[in-house]
Amino acid sequence: MLGTWGQNLWRKRQLTRLEDNPLREYYLRPFPSAAYDCRALEFVALDLETTGLDPKKDVILSIGFIKLHGMLIDLSSAQHHLLCPNREIPERSAVIHCITDDQAAEGKHIEDVLPQLLQQLSGRVMIAHYARVEMKFLDRACRQLYGGPFLIPVVDTQRIAKRALERRIQEIRFHDLRLAECRRRHGLPHYRMHNALSDALAAAELFLVQMAQFNCRKPVPLKYFL
Amino acid sequence: MDVELIEIRNYLTEHPPFDQLPDGVLDILPRNLSVRYLRRGSNFPPDEEKNALWLLRTGAVEFRDPDGELMERLSEGEHFANPCSGASLIPRQIGKVIEDSLFYLLPCEIFSELRQQYPDFSNHFEQDLRSRLQHAIIQLQQRRGSGNSLMHVEAGTLIKRAPITIDPAQSIRQAAMLMSRERASSVLVVEQDNLVGILTDRDLRQRCVAAGVDVNHPLREIMTSDLQTLNIHAPAFEALIQMTRLHIHHMPVVDQQGKLKGIITASDILHQHNLNTVSLDSTIRHCQDVDGLVKASKQLPELQAQLISSGMNADQLTQALSAVTDGITKRLLQMAEKQLGPPPVPYAWLICGSQARREQTTVSDQDNALLLDDAFQPEHDAYFQSLARYVSDGLAQCGFVYCPGDAMATNPLWRQPRRVWRSYFNKWINTPEPKALMHSCIFFDMRALHGETGLFTQLQTQVLEQCRNNGIFLTNMAANALQYRPPLGFFRQFVLINDGEHDDTLDIKHRGVIPLVDLARVYALAAGISAINTRERLKAAEAAGVLSHDGTEDLLHALEFITTLRARHQARQHMEGLKMDNYLPPHSLTRPERSQLKDAFAIINSMQQAMKNRYQASGIA
Repeated sequence: MLGTWGQNLWRKRQLTRLEDNPLREYYLRPFPSAAYDCRALEFVALDLETTGLDPKKDVILSIGFIKLHGMLIDLSSAQHHLLCPNREIPERSAVIHCITDDQAAEGKHIEDVLPQLLQQLSGRVMIAHYARVEMKFLDRACRQLYGGPFLIPVVDTQRIAKRALERRIQEIRFHDLRLAECRRRHGLPHYRMHNALSDALAAAELFLVQMAQFNCRKPVPLKYFL
Repeated sequence: MDVELIEIRNYLTEHPPFDQLPDGVLDILPRNLSVRYLRRGSNFPPDEEKNALWLLRTGAVEFRDPDGELMERLSEGEHFANPCSGASLIPRQIGKVIEDSLFYLLPCEIFSELRQQYPDFSNHFEQDLRSRLQHAIIQLQQRRGSGNSLMHVEAGTLIKRAPITIDPAQSIRQAAMLMSRERASSVLVVEQDNLVGILTDRDLRQRCVAAGVDVNHPLREIMTSDLQTLNIHAPAFEALIQMTRLHIHHMPVVDQQGKLKGIITASDILHQHNLNTVSLDSTIRHCQDVDGLVKASKQLPELQAQLISSGMNADQLTQALSAVTDGITKRLLQMAEKQLGPPPVPYAWLICGSQARREQTTVSDQDNALLLDDAFQPEHDAYFQSLARYVSDGLAQCGFVYCPGDAMATNPLWRQPRRVWRSYFNKWINTPEPKALMHSCIFFDMRALHGETGLFTQLQTQVLEQCRNNGIFLTNMAANALQYRPPLGFFRQFVLINDGEHDDTLDIKHRGVIPLVDLARVYALAAGISAINTRERLKAAEAAGVLSHDGTEDLLHALEFITTLRARHQARQHMEGLKMDNYLPPHSLTRPERSQLKDAFAIINSMQQAMKNRYQASGIA
């Protein structure tokens, strides 16, 4: 993975390549340096609910995100959008997310929501639990709509949890890394799962806990979490 | 469409006082919060976020005073509003997060807007302990009681018609004719607009017909004078208590100016209340044997539960129950005298402790003593021993368990002539050692119930004179009164004690009632006050200038709140078929009740401090 210095070089190249669109707008602000103290940084915790894991076949059903100013989650920034997919929702995913075709039909289109999300993410750090899914789907959406790839400094709460667990136990089960289980280990309250906003908030709170594991009198550079 | 941030909204709706806010506000309120996480050991609140109300979602926080003394612990669902209420009002305290904690923060501006718009919400944050507790008492009353119970009705409303009056110079026959014509069981005797007496059916029967008095004599000869009256605005239960205590069935009612307005009879009250103390009292007085008394006293728990659920407060309830217990005791004494014959020397039967203070509940034990005339000789003791045994066993059969400390007239120590009692009190007052102080607590709350009550009055006057302004004695009494301290409050499902220890249940007697009773006793003895009822003691202490007005009000409110909560707890136990006791499990208390109890504890604590300073008591272990 590129360091943020390398990422910023890459970002500037995108600016020369991209047309004037929301993605180019997004790239105007530099990525925060990995050396910065997390407590002075801004983050956006994000969760997507999708019909599956393959961005080529599957679609985004809902997007939830929420901003953090350092160690404070700002609930007024919370956003939750249901998207209308241009195809039927497979029964399996409807069961998980409780989003039915009817609800989805009243939803928005990805091209209406993505500019808002990119605007929020610009110049900030993204937080997600198992961020690969979010990254893949956003990348695909950006390429399709704006003709360019999506890149952002990411804090993956699942990766941080995994590293912490590896120091303590030999064999990590998949279950140990689930968001709800990570929260339970730290005494965080139980939230309903598979609602994009709840999961975004849940990941944001988990990150507060992970940040708090460091000595509060010293700076906590972002690179600890990347 | 689902509500956004539903987890946070749910949390708010489940926790007072946010549950007082309307749904529309609760829908948007989560958006106004932010979330913070603090690890164990962090300072609280952290320097950078001073301007918010902190809601504790998970975890725990504690506060200590600058000397490191624990002041308070907060857990899930509780909040910390000090940053929003002006720091000058709040005593200096140092907060620490003691378990990793997740918080929701509500900005002070929004908090004060909510307070302005929603009074029910706002009341909860009232700075003034006093008004908070007053509010709590009103709430507690409102939660119980139906509209037409004796508690809510004024005595005046029970008056059935204009008073039937007669002049004392009229003949007995004229009075009887008037009563027949009016179909009344009594007439009030009025002389120049002043109420001077009452004449009842019973007086006609007992004092005229049975005694062979000429019916043409003036009725003045057979009327009952020295009347107890009731104000028309007094609550109707007051009539109930007075009638029970005085064993009467007619109670004249007067207005503010003392002008006669009418009469209330026992049957008027009976119509309001099917099971009541007047009828129980009269059953007791007509009992012929101990078995009858046992049967009658079985109704006491039910009576207590009914009176409380009909809206009576704890003070009225314990007054009423004490009056019934007095009746049972007196009846037992009469039965004993009937069996044993007249006493060899005059005696006074003394009752001590909660019954003496008229603060009895049905779970109280019996404390009593015998005060004998100084003409007492050792050979007389056999009589008094039998008398004491008869009464004490009778009381035990009626459900008043033997005093665990053996403070009963069956114990020869407490069955003594007046000169010995004098020497006891001398010793207790002049050499107050721990055991003496324990006895003081029992025997300074004493009243004569039966026999030569004058014996006791003399003793009491001398003792009070001796206590008053006796510095060493008062210092020791004050120290003894610090033996029972209220808890700090609650922490999760536990009662939080001073040193941070936990109790599983709240012993509301030892941690709430007794500290108040002890406080009142010290102030009463300091001022030479003869009252023994805790409320009366506190009021008299205020009048005598040893307690401040505010201090008195606070203590009265704390007492009322705590004893009413206890009475309600016992009523609930009774209704669930459990034995009544003094142990409140914290989970049975609502969150507002917990914080109101905490207020009451805080009052007791600060008044104990004040007493400690005033009498320089250091506290004994």
